[in-house]
Amino acid sequence: MRAVNHTMRNRAKLTGWLFIAAAVLMICLFYFYPMIQALLLSFKTGAGANLQFDGLSNYKRLFSDKTFFTAVKNTFLFLIVQVPVMIVLAMIISVLLNDSKLRFKGFFRTAIFLPCVTSLVAYSVVFKYLFGNDGLVNLALMNMHILSEPIQWISHPVWAKVTIIIAITWRWTGYNMIFFLSSLQNIDNSIYEAAKIDGASGPRQFFSITVPLLKPIILFTSITSTIGTLQLFDEIMNITKGGPGNATLSISQYIYNLSFKYTPDFGYAATVSYSIVVMIIILSFLQIKLAGDDK
Amino acid sequence: MKKKATALLLAGFLMLTACSSNANTNNQADTGSEGNAAGSQKITVWAWDKNFNIAAMNLAKDAYVADHPDAQIEVVEYAQDDIIQKMNTGLNSGTASGLPNIVLIEDYRAQSFLQTYPDSFQELGDAINASDFADYKLGPTSFDGKQYGVPFDSGVVGLYVRTDYLQEAGYTVDDLQDIDWQQYIEIGKAVKAKTGKDMLTQDPNDLGLIRMMIQSAGSWYLKEDGTTPDLKDNAVLKEAFESYKELMNANIVKINSDWSSFLAGFNSGDVASIPTGNWITPSVKSAADQSGKWAVVPFPKLKNAANSVHASNLGGSSWYVLNNEGKEAAVEFLGATLGSDVDLYQKLVTDVGVIGTYKPAAEGEAYGAADEFFGGQKVIADFAKWTAEIPNVNYGLHTYAIEDILKVEMQNYLNGTAVDKALSDAQSQAESQIQ
Repeated sequence: MRAVNHTMRNRAKLTGWLFIAAAVLMICLFYFYPMIQALLLSFKTGAGANLQFDGLSNYKRLFSDKTFFTAVKNTFLFLIVQVPVMIVLAMIISVLLNDSKLRFKGFFRTAIFLPCVTSLVAYSVVFKYLFGNDGLVNLALMNMHILSEPIQWISHPVWAKVTIIIAITWRWTGYNMIFFLSSLQNIDNSIYEAAKIDGASGPRQFFSITVPLLKPIILFTSITSTIGTLQLFDEIMNITKGGPGNATLSISQYIYNLSFKYTPDFGYAATVSYSIVVMIIILSFLQIKLAGDDK
Repeated sequence: MKKKATALLLAGFLMLTACSSNANTNNQADTGSEGNAAGSQKITVWAWDKNFNIAAMNLAKDAYVADHPDAQIEVVEYAQDDIIQKMNTGLNSGTASGLPNIVLIEDYRAQSFLQTYPDSFQELGDAINASDFADYKLGPTSFDGKQYGVPFDSGVVGLYVRTDYLQEAGYTVDDLQDIDWQQYIEIGKAVKAKTGKDMLTQDPNDLGLIRMMIQSAGSWYLKEDGTTPDLKDNAVLKEAFESYKELMNANIVKINSDWSSFLAGFNSGDVASIPTGNWITPSVKSAADQSGKWAVVPFPKLKNAANSVHASNLGGSSWYVLNNEGKEAAVEFLGATLGSDVDLYQKLVTDVGVIGTYKPAAEGEAYGAADEFFGGQKVIADFAKWTAEIPNVNYGLHTYAIEDILKVEMQNYLNGTAVDKALSDAQSQAESQIQ
């Protein structure tokens, strides 16, 4: 009896494995195999298809590459300025939209979420035209007599960065808002009622109840936004192409340039992309530690 | 059960590996044999710019199909960036099977393809006579003494000027013949003062003007060998930088941020001149109400550079045949059309406005025709004349990589860094980047 049981259990296990075998195979083939290949590639140098192993020379080059550091600096500037702004904005909007007295809730929620549905390329192109020298934004600001001459949104090193930040904030705030909204709806209303009875003001309720209870979501959105910003590509590619003079160059745009714009150097491009992997691991680890969440 | 599962897995693996190795052997076979299929083979062509390159290729196709009724030629339009991306990923994976038979490549990039993917392109052999084409096109289109490209778009530059604005400022077209950049800036200031219009429009993120300036003096970002950066102590480049700064500081430049705002600059009548390649002609002419108000004068030269001439090149391109199935048919097609057909070149001029670099074609009638849009000027003949004067330089492998470094140093220079320091910084960066 015991022996039969044993073989049956084994069989059940095997069937389970069989069910996921296809998925495991696919994951190995399409995720792990390219990752390992890319890691191997990062140790090779040479132009185009003439690649040979060259030890750590790509990694040495990385640490003396001024353009790479410009790209890292730009990307972190976007990260430090844009992610906090966006998350605070998403939180405020979600709290406002969660108000039970608000009318046309569905309309506002859809309107703010809608940018996330648009294609990255399409919205980037639209932003490029809006913020052109003769674009709608300049025209509007000049007609309202806020500006006397057009701002060079895309051709000036500082304004180009501002344009990119405005663009990504527009695109992603609604996306993060959805997470906050769903989490807010899980907070029991009786907590707020109790607070009201105790005489807590609106802002007090926000800082002492809402924010602490949203902590896991804040952590989640900040990690995903960090990863997203480190991989920032579509907006840069379509709005500024990294210019003027590398002022908005992101790490991903640099990888694209190394692979396709310059004489192709796929080995070094792989090295730069592995640097993003390392940065994401370190930053996510820090964020989890800082949030003090061990779960 | 277990056996079955392992067998299934193994079979799956086998199939996968079989597929990939199959593709490889196929590809090798393609590059070796297959010669007699020419004619019935379908030829695929990739190019960019519907109004220029695609239109030209379609004319070549029509001319060829008239003589070879069973020839199948498909012309596909892609953006230039997409072509580069597809070519690089395709060639890097070691198979040219998903790629076209004929592809258009910009001259600045030609060497990086020919040298980094050896054996991926088909030598043209006797299909064309290289010496029939403009000399400066032969450097980029050949490698290791062999001719790989059919030289095409000349990219010859001129200075397009608005005669009405100049008149208002007290100048005639004759005053702009054979000027240098200092004189150009002076005229620009006068135009701005009298008409309020800027002299030209520039994208600060595009150093095309610098490229045109230095090629006019036979200089480039790299030394003659095509790999050693030549930025520090390059007197020509230094003068080009200085002229560019003077131009930018003279308050005669309307800043644009992309191609469409560049076009809008002159189509809307905001700027008085365009220093650029002849491929801009169809776009200038698209503003039909400005007919008769434009003229084309020789490109300004650098004042101090001894070798500088009134002719240069911006972004010309050429056709290449890939080493894959159908290459014989593709070579034959190119050789019979853009490689030798004088009549076709006349049609290219009259129908599309394309000036090739095929020397015998310049004798034809279409090249001497007057153009009413340019006030009756024989612009094509002028461009053809300037084409013959363009200095030959070796673009080498790294035009765009170095240009990205220079863009940053140009910003630094415009913001106050000394020009020598900017160029020597660029030199050391280029040296560490180009390996």
